[in-house]
Amino acid sequence: MKKIWSKLLACAVSGIVALSSAGCGTSQVSSNESNKPAAEAASGEQKEAASGEKVTLNVWHLWTTDSDANAKSFMKVFEQYKAEHPNVEVVIDASENEAYKTKLKTAMAANEGPDVFFSWGAGFAQPFVDAGQVLPIEEYLTDDQKANLIESQRTNLTYDGKLYGLPFVSWVGILYCNQEVFEQNGVKVPDTYEEFLAAVETFSSKGIVPLTVGAKDGWPLMFFQNILALRQAGADGSNAALDKAASFNQPEFVQSAQMLTDLVKAKAFDDAALALTYDEAKMAFLSGEVPMTYMGSWLAGEIQDENLSTVKGKVVAKNFPSIAGTKGNKDEFLGGAIDCFMVNNNTKHKKEAAEFAAYMAEHMARESFLLGAGLPAWKVDTTGETIDPLVQQMVELANNSTGFVLAWDTKLSGEAAEKHKTLVQEVFAGTKTPQQFVDEMDAANK
Amino acid sequence: MEKVLSDKKAIFLFVFPAFVVFAMVVIIPIFFSAYYSTLDWNGIGKSTFIGIQNYVNLFVNNKDGFAMAIKNSFLVAFFSVFVQVPLALILALVISKGIKGEGFFRTVYFIPVIISTTVIGQLWMKIYQPKHGMLNKLLEIAGLDSLQRNWLATPQTAMASVLFVIIWQYIGYHMLLLYSGIKAIPGDIYEAAEVDGATNFQKAARITIPLIAPMIKVCVTFALIGSLKTFDLIYVLTKGGPIHATEVPTTLMFSNIFLQNKYGYGSAMSIFIILECLLFTVFINKVFKAESITY
Repeated sequence: MKKIWSKLLACAVSGIVALSSAGCGTSQVSSNESNKPAAEAASGEQKEAASGEKVTLNVWHLWTTDSDANAKSFMKVFEQYKAEHPNVEVVIDASENEAYKTKLKTAMAANEGPDVFFSWGAGFAQPFVDAGQVLPIEEYLTDDQKANLIESQRTNLTYDGKLYGLPFVSWVGILYCNQEVFEQNGVKVPDTYEEFLAAVETFSSKGIVPLTVGAKDGWPLMFFQNILALRQAGADGSNAALDKAASFNQPEFVQSAQMLTDLVKAKAFDDAALALTYDEAKMAFLSGEVPMTYMGSWLAGEIQDENLSTVKGKVVAKNFPSIAGTKGNKDEFLGGAIDCFMVNNNTKHKKEAAEFAAYMAEHMARESFLLGAGLPAWKVDTTGETIDPLVQQMVELANNSTGFVLAWDTKLSGEAAEKHKTLVQEVFAGTKTPQQFVDEMDAANK
Repeated sequence: MEKVLSDKKAIFLFVFPAFVVFAMVVIIPIFFSAYYSTLDWNGIGKSTFIGIQNYVNLFVNNKDGFAMAIKNSFLVAFFSVFVQVPLALILALVISKGIKGEGFFRTVYFIPVIISTTVIGQLWMKIYQPKHGMLNKLLEIAGLDSLQRNWLATPQTAMASVLFVIIWQYIGYHMLLLYSGIKAIPGDIYEAAEVDGATNFQKAARITIPLIAPMIKVCVTFALIGSLKTFDLIYVLTKGGPIHATEVPTTLMFSNIFLQNKYGYGSAMSIFIILECLLFTVFINKVFKAESITY
């Protein structure tokens, strides 16, 4: 009997100890400033105990589907990295996009973030940088790497003049047109907005939905308002309003919302678009059901993958058409380098982590580009490689670019971004007027 | 055994670990939330104490449709208590009568409960799908084309569509609880009633229902509290959309905390939900206390 009691007591005591140490973990949430050294020390101890001489890096990313071009590129470069760095053990943890955002924010709030993590620049990482949780990475780059990273691709990852993230590819917004459907219906692939409207009208009169958009997710729909605003106000005009240097209450932005309403009235989108997610809407294009979509350059990889799409080789990449008599022109793009790797400022192995991030970013720039995920953010050598014709078209379009504006939801910070996406949905559904749209945008982006 | 149960120290030793776990994962976080709800905090950087400002923004200067969200959750609660539980009761009464295939029906009605909510959500998204979805196809076959809708895409029909799935999913759950309650009633009571010439309806209304009142109370509590904190199915089906038509307090809270980085404000919502649930639980207990019958 006595033995049982002592066992029970031991259980209870060890349970209490375990729980109280867990309790320390949660207390870091409330005052992360004061606890930083403690957290650092604790994670350091774990690592030393686990791997001895070896350095262990925890890496988080969001590529959960193998078909994704960036996922393929990541795995390829990662294998290469492992072969070249036998002393570094990398523990990978991947979660799906939306879940990833939640997970990363929660972990960072608790000061339990990974050593290296995938992130987005501009508005998304702003709170992390403000809280001093991201390592300024410039000093860890070699001179070659500094020279190779294209200057213009740093913009969205630079905060207060310091570089905090390393991009690998940049994206551009592209109007994808399924040439086969255009030809079958005797419609010209649009170069001007008039031709675009004519195409919309012809398709919808023949019972074909002209454009697919996953409006349920908000951001794909937002792209249309964003690009219309870019055409109306130009890149400088859009960026000024987004940077709070100018009001949204200008005729150009009112007009951008108005044109979206007009497109809805012209039956340019599926009636049920508000119930479609990005993936569902994408399928309508990949199956050849819908002839046009306006989406980021990352879609090219999937369009050209015959396992996923029936429209391989039938799609042309176009600029979103220019609109006569406006401040914008067809060579300004929605897009930019925003996907990146960041290094945790609290990591025990700053040097290794930063080197890992730089290695991955630089090599992924090439691989992701070749797989059609976007345009390289680093100077890459692709001699001897065959570049997909659709990707080649996009490169040519982007080479002529005169200005970039990020998708507004990544440019704006959390609250304003959510508000913006809702407002575009409301304009789409006709429950907000264009004037209400700009007024509320001003209120949200104070 | 007797000795152990009468030993205060033993009771303490057995209860204490569970209590510590419970306190750590439930009670203390509630106090943390209460504290966070007084902060203006983005979850990562510095926080500022702003007193009850979050609650003022929530109830007085509200701009994000919180009232609408509460209304929606009450709608779910109303239908759960007054449609779902009664339907479950009827089903339980019918299948517990020993009809042919009792086990089969019991299993069939319970299937939606075992399937993960995400799967249920995906399933119903396919049913509601406007072009190829089963519902619109059935309407077409029946010649009722005029009734076809973009079920989840139109604000007017979205809430009703979601509500239907929520009610449908948990009928089996309540049915099983009530069914087991009915099965626990001794058979001799019914025999006595039969000797006295009671009809099936009389037996159900006078014997079964009063005797399973405690179980009905459990069902009503679960139904009510479950609807006030409903989240998963709505999140999968509509994410609170289209344009916030199906938003409930929990989806708004999620959006505030995780998408808009408003930890303080979101925590104020969570505190509201906790208090709301506690109040309703107390209320239900009061209502059911009046009548307690045993055999």
